Amino acid sequence: MSVSESEPAPDPKIKTIEELYDYLYKGLQLEHATLPPYLTALYSLRPGTNSDARHVIRVVAVEEMLHLTLVANVLNAVGGKPDLTKPGFVPNYPTRLPCGPDYFDVHLRPFSREALDTFLKIEKPPEAATEQDRFVPMDWAALGLTSDGAPPPPEKLAQLEESGTLFGLVPGEPSKRFASIGEFYEEIIRGINHLEDQARQAGKTIFTGDPARQVTPEYFYSGGGDVIEVTGRDSAVAALTLVAEQGEGLYGGIYDSQDELAHYYRFQQLEKGRYYQKGDEPNEPSGPILHVDWDAVYPVKPDIKMVDLSRDPEILAAAAEFNQFYATFLTNINLAYNGQPDLLLKAVWEMFRMRDSMNRLVRNPLTGHAGKNAGPTFEL
Amino acid sequence: MMSYDGTDQVIFPAGAATQTSAAEAAQGVWDAVIVGGGMAGSIVAEQLGQAGYRVLILEAGPGKDMDLAEYESYLSRFYGAVVKDNQSPYPFNPNARMPRSTDTMPVDPNTPRDDFYLVQQDKYCTDTTFTRVLGGTSMHWEGKALRMLPEDFDLRTKYNQGLNWPLNYDDLEPYYRKAEAELGVAAEVEDQAYLGMHFPKGYVFPMHRMPLSYLDQTVARGVDGMRVNLADDEYTLQVRSFPQARNGVPNAAYDGGKGFVPVGAVSTSQVEEGERCQGNTNCVPLCPVQAKYHSGKTLAKALRKGNVKIVTQAVASKVEINDHNQRVAGITFKKYESLGSEKYTEYTVEGAVYILCAHAIENARLMLASGMQDMSRSKLIGRNLMDHAYLLTWGLLPEPAGTMRGTTCTGGITDLRGGRFRATQAGFGVDIHNDGWGWATGSPYTDLVELVDRQGLRGRDLRRTLGNQISRQLLLAFMIDLLPDRNNTVTVDERYKDALGNLKPVVSFKIPPYTMKGAAFARKLATDIFEKLGAEDRTTYDQNSYSAVEYEGQWYNIVGGNHLAGTHIMGTDPANSVVDRDQHSWDHDNLYLVGPGSMPSIGTSNISLTMAALAFRSAAHIVKYLRAAKAPAVVRS
Repeated sequence: MSVSESEPAPDPKIKTIEELYDYLYKGLQLEHATLPPYLTALYSLRPGTNSDARHVIRVVAVEEMLHLTLVANVLNAVGGKPDLTKPGFVPNYPTRLPCGPDYFDVHLRPFSREALDTFLKIEKPPEAATEQDRFVPMDWAALGLTSDGAPPPPEKLAQLEESGTLFGLVPGEPSKRFASIGEFYEEIIRGINHLEDQARQAGKTIFTGDPARQVTPEYFYSGGGDVIEVTGRDSAVAALTLVAEQGEGLYGGIYDSQDELAHYYRFQQLEKGRYYQKGDEPNEPSGPILHVDWDAVYPVKPDIKMVDLSRDPEILAAAAEFNQFYATFLTNINLAYNGQPDLLLKAVWEMFRMRDSMNRLVRNPLTGHAGKNAGPTFEL
Repeated sequence: MMSYDGTDQVIFPAGAATQTSAAEAAQGVWDAVIVGGGMAGSIVAEQLGQAGYRVLILEAGPGKDMDLAEYESYLSRFYGAVVKDNQSPYPFNPNARMPRSTDTMPVDPNTPRDDFYLVQQDKYCTDTTFTRVLGGTSMHWEGKALRMLPEDFDLRTKYNQGLNWPLNYDDLEPYYRKAEAELGVAAEVEDQAYLGMHFPKGYVFPMHRMPLSYLDQTVARGVDGMRVNLADDEYTLQVRSFPQARNGVPNAAYDGGKGFVPVGAVSTSQVEEGERCQGNTNCVPLCPVQAKYHSGKTLAKALRKGNVKIVTQAVASKVEINDHNQRVAGITFKKYESLGSEKYTEYTVEGAVYILCAHAIENARLMLASGMQDMSRSKLIGRNLMDHAYLLTWGLLPEPAGTMRGTTCTGGITDLRGGRFRATQAGFGVDIHNDGWGWATGSPYTDLVELVDRQGLRGRDLRRTLGNQISRQLLLAFMIDLLPDRNNTVTVDERYKDALGNLKPVVSFKIPPYTMKGAAFARKLATDIFEKLGAEDRTTYDQNSYSAVEYEGQWYNIVGGNHLAGTHIMGTDPANSVVDRDQHSWDHDNLYLVGPGSMPSIGTSNISLTMAALAFRSAAHIVKYLRAAKAPAVVRS
């Protein structure tokens, strides 16, 4: 995490178990929100080309699924119930993630330099130097959400908070937000420590969840990185730390605590045209050369919506079918996180279906959008 | 990811396939020179490398690193190939050719022709294959990893058939466990403890069994509990899952509770793929994600230590023998420039010990081409060639049974692998093929041709009919024991040479009556099983095929199993065998022949696991040999 532990810990934002549930739900929403952009880029690559890019994006996408699972394990361990089927869980793209003083937009885009740039931003949020830097004032006007910069009225605010299109808000404090996703997870860890300390003083624990609801390593199809079964404070902190560090590396290095190349550096390999290998310093990969063919990509229309497909009824039907499939997929994952972990094994071949379904969409040019192809809209 | 000497286990050092030049390799003396970078060669190299010895591997195949790009080039060649045989992923290489099942036809001895690699002059020809690329035949194997039965090691004593091994099951058992760890075997002890196979108390396989396919379960409904009378004994059949060298769910209880970390795809960078089988149903020749073991996984470890080197595009052409003491003085090899050129340079490399790991046919071919039969006291080099005899039977089930789902083969019938009947007829295992009739009929491509060209179907009708037809296909492949026979041979003949001028293997292979008696019984059993399942028997045999065999008035087609063995069998003395129980040559003190060629019988288990176990066992002996022969060299990194 970004803030040194020697600083006195201020009052945690999370003071009740319900608040912790709320934060963890947002964590689920956040981890999932990166999947549609990664999958869209992944399957926009023309089959038989861009093997290096394909594998790099694929591994990161699989590990985002791992993160989703880890957050679900933490939520289950503290007696909460993951729900990936709530309205608004899947963002209406573009969504926004905090990046230091700014927000940046995350689009559904075909693989491109812009997409790669966004992926790098997603995976390496800037670090907060001091306790104060962990939060930045929320500039609602800059986002175009209010005219005077003040927070929107409560109803609109609640809607925004639920929608998955604006991440990093501090619940209950609409005038500020977390400087980065890393700080958001840091807050959850502090909350867990605080609540667990309190509980222990009363001879209790917050880890009251049914262990049978944990997703254990045998159920997760690993692409690198292992599932951590959460049974108490240490494993909860380990799980959340892995979620945060797998993006950016551990202690400023390029690998995480499980010896996986961090996502930021995985993506950076595509930018640098070279693979990292053991012993490399950040930004200086020295492994084998890799090749990116930026043109061997289907020109999927960015942030495509169902309304864009109205003149192509067959594509429209295929896109609707995809969204239906995706909704079912999330429902199944949700069941897996709610006591039926073996359903995750089934998700492996469901991912193949998803790939086929996306492949079908991205090959089709759109009527009325010159030079643009269809793609999945992820409107559920 | 498990660390190995501070690096990922599956990282193949970039440039390793090309950075050692043949000229460099030919300078100085290596501790060990290994011919062949397949499963046996990789295991021995890795073990000797671990022990600190300087090891050179000579590999006949193309000089490419085992990285994902190379692997994917194999895959894409396979996907694009019209005929998807075992060798279809690999580019044609005139300098290190390999047999292709599609090439099989007899060569007329009076008008020799050089079209094919394996020269056969008999009416019956085997369509068996082995693969000559880095990784060897593990680059096309299916991944079944069965142990041999205890009785397989004592066939002569127990049933007065075949040959005894100079080893027994218990001698090999610890090495089976090593091999199961190296190959990453998925199975349950409770399934595999049959016909006397035993395991140490508390042992579990590295990974849990692959689930039985829906097709297996369909067959089980008819087969489980079925009784068979054979040679005065009654056997009860059941469908059982096969142990597989393919990544499944790791068993947390493995290694006293330490668990097991599956080894995924090999490449020159961290790729994180293949830690689990995804059920692509495309295990042979190549798993698309490398969830199936191939020896690149072992080779990567071996090469990373720095004291194991490899020279590729290096075809061993002669084992040089010192006439005075019969010791091997060097291995001469031809280093060719490219797959497209026949230009080569000859070099000789020297080592303290030499290990031939080029597979049954190539080991024999190389030794025979080097004139070593003259020095052999047993004269058994190239004799006792074995392969499993496969009898295919196929039927159409009454209902769709999910054919084409699951890995290529998840379950089968193993109850007739052993028993007293083996005194008079061969035992067999039965594979339930999840990939339909492909092996027998060329399905699904032939189904498509039939439906479109003959029945005129198209569109939705075609799709529905095709799906319905294929998902009802049941192929039972009987893998039948074939005993060692001196007259099944690999020889060489000056008339038959490859592009580099190396003598090609000439194979003469007949299916003995003992095996055919088993085949005839298998055919009847298949009829009974199809009847139980309400399946329409579609099996037909072509008596005009190269694979036709007549037995008691009936014709059968016996196809090759690619389980080649027996060309330098192990035994108890120099008169009855080529190597001893450690795979140490009886006739040449500093020579080991490691591979399935050493097996004096093959029983009814696919040979790779046993070969791997033998390789581990022999590697330990070679370390002792080297320790005695010389002090270990200091390894400089």
